[in-house]
Amino acid sequence: MSKLEVKNLHVAVVDEDKGQEKEILKGVNLTMNTGEIHAIMGPNGTGKSTLSQAIMGNPAYKVTEGDVLLNGKSILELPVDERARAGLFLAMQYPAEIAGVTNVEFMRAAINARRADDDQIPVLEFMKFLDKNLATLDMTDDMVERYLNEGFSGGEKKRNEILQLMMIQPKFAILDEIDSGLDIDALKVVSKGVNAMRGPEFGSLIITHYQRLLNYIVPDTVHVMMDGRIVESGGPELAEKLEAEGYAGVRDDLGIDVKLTDEI
Amino acid sequence: METQAEIDFQSAVSAFSAARNEPDWLQKLRLTMLAKYPELALPKFDKIQYQRWPLTDAHEPAVQASDATALAALDLDYADAKNVLVTFGETVVTTRLDPELAAQGVIFTDIFTAVRDYPELVEKYFMTTAIKPDANRLTAFHAAFLNGGAFLYVPKNVVVKEPIQGYYIQDSTRKQDFIQHVLVVADTNSQVTYAENYATVGTEANLANVVVEVIAADDAHVHFSAVDQFSPATTGYLSRQGNLANDAQLDWAVGMMNDGNVVVDFNTDLVGKGAHAEVKVVAVTTGKQLQGIDTRVTNYGQHTIGHILQHGVILETSSLIFNGVGHIVKGARGSDSQQESRVLMLSTHARGDANPILLIDENDVTAGHAASVGRVDQEQMYYLMSRGIDKKRAERLVIRGFLGNVLTEIPAKRVRDQLTATIERKLENGQKSE
Repeated sequence: MSKLEVKNLHVAVVDEDKGQEKEILKGVNLTMNTGEIHAIMGPNGTGKSTLSQAIMGNPAYKVTEGDVLLNGKSILELPVDERARAGLFLAMQYPAEIAGVTNVEFMRAAINARRADDDQIPVLEFMKFLDKNLATLDMTDDMVERYLNEGFSGGEKKRNEILQLMMIQPKFAILDEIDSGLDIDALKVVSKGVNAMRGPEFGSLIITHYQRLLNYIVPDTVHVMMDGRIVESGGPELAEKLEAEGYAGVRDDLGIDVKLTDEI
Repeated sequence: METQAEIDFQSAVSAFSAARNEPDWLQKLRLTMLAKYPELALPKFDKIQYQRWPLTDAHEPAVQASDATALAALDLDYADAKNVLVTFGETVVTTRLDPELAAQGVIFTDIFTAVRDYPELVEKYFMTTAIKPDANRLTAFHAAFLNGGAFLYVPKNVVVKEPIQGYYIQDSTRKQDFIQHVLVVADTNSQVTYAENYATVGTEANLANVVVEVIAADDAHVHFSAVDQFSPATTGYLSRQGNLANDAQLDWAVGMMNDGNVVVDFNTDLVGKGAHAEVKVVAVTTGKQLQGIDTRVTNYGQHTIGHILQHGVILETSSLIFNGVGHIVKGARGSDSQQESRVLMLSTHARGDANPILLIDENDVTAGHAASVGRVDQEQMYYLMSRGIDKKRAERLVIRGFLGNVLTEIPAKRVRDQLTATIERKLENGQKSE
């Protein structure tokens, strides 16, 4: 079993226009183990994506206080590639497009980065594993021969993120709004992929705006995030409450004094 | 070693020409250019400073054999090529041409055999159409000291399906100039794919002077790809010259993977109406070298199309200059000149320049340019590294992607794969010091 802990995390980003630092996360606490699926819900602009980027180690996000620990060891000093090899994965909301590098060679490079130079994955073994995962995700062979995310539709990009997740087999996967822009069929396929990963050696942190995704990937724990903090945690029923009452309702129940971005 | 002043070049060049049984016109051309070259000006290229390079420090020409076993060091892959010429220094190592092509009149042979066996054909095209011998000091020097190369001729209406490949290897196991001439003539309505490779064996400091002429007659279509990988100790003048007649098309794809200083004079003249050239260049520059690449297309004919796409990567303390020159002359109505030059800098000590030059002397045309010098896209790096790929490998993948725009345009898979491998090698070397 592995453990991911976020302790009193404060994160700032630099506003390029003003040249000023802006604090986005204001003390996030979260503990999760492999074998568990956690969901983070919250209105726009509360720092959900910032949390995922800060855990992964995006250099654009600056940790000003607190810590992130994997199995008791701080990972804040590790660059993003080392965090990935330590077992973290982030399915991104906006994956980069890289022309000239095929999807298949990228995934092989990612897998081989976790193996010794004299123990690279045999081509046949890799292809068999790839075919199996492609089938789970209803993806065609030509997707893997295409250049990485180049010219992919929004839905194809999301599927491709889940394909990478299934190929790389991380300990912890953070899924950042993997449901945005997906129709119901694609949502089911993506959920199928994540559910296939479920097991004692896999944990996932699912960041979403909508409860809908959680009908397909049922979380063990749901956290509500507002204004840079986790304000409430509970079971799957919390997501349903949010759906019924809206974020404003939860905010008012808790008596939190924040203005929601989309509030009129 | 004798100094240049002590060598009787006139006698030596005459003797070399005689030993090669060259026809009179060539011997005469050599001697005329030998006398003339010191007086001619060096070619000028914007922002490329190479005037002090030892590009005319000739050694005494002599017919000398090279030991082909040394080629094993290069791992050349031509075993199953149907049409191939391999030379090492002045020595012809392998020459193969599909008998069916030969029966159709296709000629592919080394330049000395060509001037002996097809003197009129070679004389008609050799430095008469695409470039003149007295164009500048380096072309004249070339004509005087020529000591290797090839001739490819595709007769009217002949379509060559299998690629024709040339491997021209410089012998730097000793002091020896490498003065190569490749003459490609695609006659009316013919089609051919030609790929050439230059490399060096040995570590001596030598000069390379390469002039390639591609002459495409009416309606001819030539795919031309090249990978140049001269050694760190080689100083090179690499000139490729295209001349296109009516509705001819020439697709250039050139990989500049040299490790030493080179000045590249890459010029295409769209002479005939409706002629079309696509010029694609990739370059990787490492160590302390300078690769100065001047790519020019001139639209002379009406409704001609000239497109230049150049992508390059600079590592360590090296310099890369891309000039893109698009010139539409008065009267070339309905013509199109487009160019894009992009340079990626991996090191803060590298120097790069992407220099667009548009010269438009006609109103009824379309023209455009884009140029940039930038750094590796950090979003792409983050994405790749977030999958566990280390920084250097991620960098190489991003670069491959950046050069991929050009690489994918190379039609022959073998050439493409080889160029990809060469880029990988050069990048790995360049990253070592970072």
